[in-house]
Amino acid sequence: MDEDLKKLTGIVRDLFDEYEGPVTRALSARDVEQWDSLANVQFVVLVEQAFGVRFTSDQVGKFQNVGELLDAVAAKRSAKP
Amino acid sequence: MIPSAYPSLTRMAERQIVAFPEHRAYLEKRFADTTPDGFAFAEEIAGKVLRIADTDLDRICEDYKWLSGIVLEEELHFRRTGRYRLSTFEEADHEVYSNRPFMTRYMNGLLATQLWWRNHTEILRFFRDRFVAGNPLGFRHLEIGPGHGLFLSLAAGTPNCRAAEGWDISDASIASTRAALKAMGFGPKIGLEKVNLFAAPDAQFDSICFSEVLEHLERPADALAVLLRLLAKNGRVFVNAPVNSPAPDHLYLFRAPEEVEQMVEAAGFAIEDRLFSPCTGATLERARKLKLSISAGVIARKP
Repeated sequence: MDEDLKKLTGIVRDLFDEYEGPVTRALSARDVEQWDSLANVQFVVLVEQAFGVRFTSDQVGKFQNVGELLDAVAAKRSAKP
Repeated sequence: MIPSAYPSLTRMAERQIVAFPEHRAYLEKRFADTTPDGFAFAEEIAGKVLRIADTDLDRICEDYKWLSGIVLEEELHFRRTGRYRLSTFEEADHEVYSNRPFMTRYMNGLLATQLWWRNHTEILRFFRDRFVAGNPLGFRHLEIGPGHGLFLSLAAGTPNCRAAEGWDISDASIASTRAALKAMGFGPKIGLEKVNLFAAPDAQFDSICFSEVLEHLERPADALAVLLRLLAKNGRVFVNAPVNSPAPDHLYLFRAPEEVEQMVEAAGFAIEDRLFSPCTGATLERARKLKLSISAGVIARKP
């Protein structure tokens, strides 16, 4: 497992504590009962804090799955001077 | 999702899902563990909401969707900063209270939350079953900031209530409450007055409802001191305030439900009862751990 996915898995396990399935890039809100729109905001902000990035307000509600979120983290990091 | 024995609730949920299809899973979660008593109460509230909505039900459902988006924006700020976005009444007045189109949509959306946000429905029920039911025969009731009128209707609708009135600082809110009470079958006997709590007339009540007002104030403890003065000896107050609940006009951040109870006690009241009701889908323990919204309902008596 790559390091970013490993770090994000810790957030998923802590925030969505009833979900016991695998955390892969394909994981989405459809798979996790606790992952509703309000929890999504908290999830994305925890990811921002863990990875030291900041998404736009528009981006926050539009990630389709964990893979898209990790790709956006990578894009933000590579855009940093 | 909702048994057929509850037609008003079913109708509302169906219209809500038409207006906001992506909210279906949330609503299923909202009613997943509802007991028959819980459904019966929600049905009673849905009946009132339908009467208030009249021909505007679809607009109320649309405005609930709009409000959900607004709350998500506030939630994002709250999660990033640990604070509410606004801190002064002047800011809230400029952005919300003086913005009539915004206020109309906001109040419509809040009406629907009385059913769709589990903690809102549970606090209404706690108010009816533990506060209103505990008031003495012939009680004189006051609500400050009666808004959608549901709390006021539950108090004024009990045979023990001799007189009921509502105070608000906004003409628009008073007009909205008046229309809601009329729609629910209450005549002009319920007085609605434009009164600033901090310039309240000399009056005595046996029962005061102060629901979702504290968090709109810069100095909420000052308001509780006024309530103590307005209550007759042994009079009872119902205070309801949300914890960790960002909204466009929330100023005072309660970080734990005990803070609400302690503020009521510090104002000189004797605590009788409380309900700490977490948001939909969360246990109280999880809501505390993740700093999710909790409604803190407190019943207290003037010694």
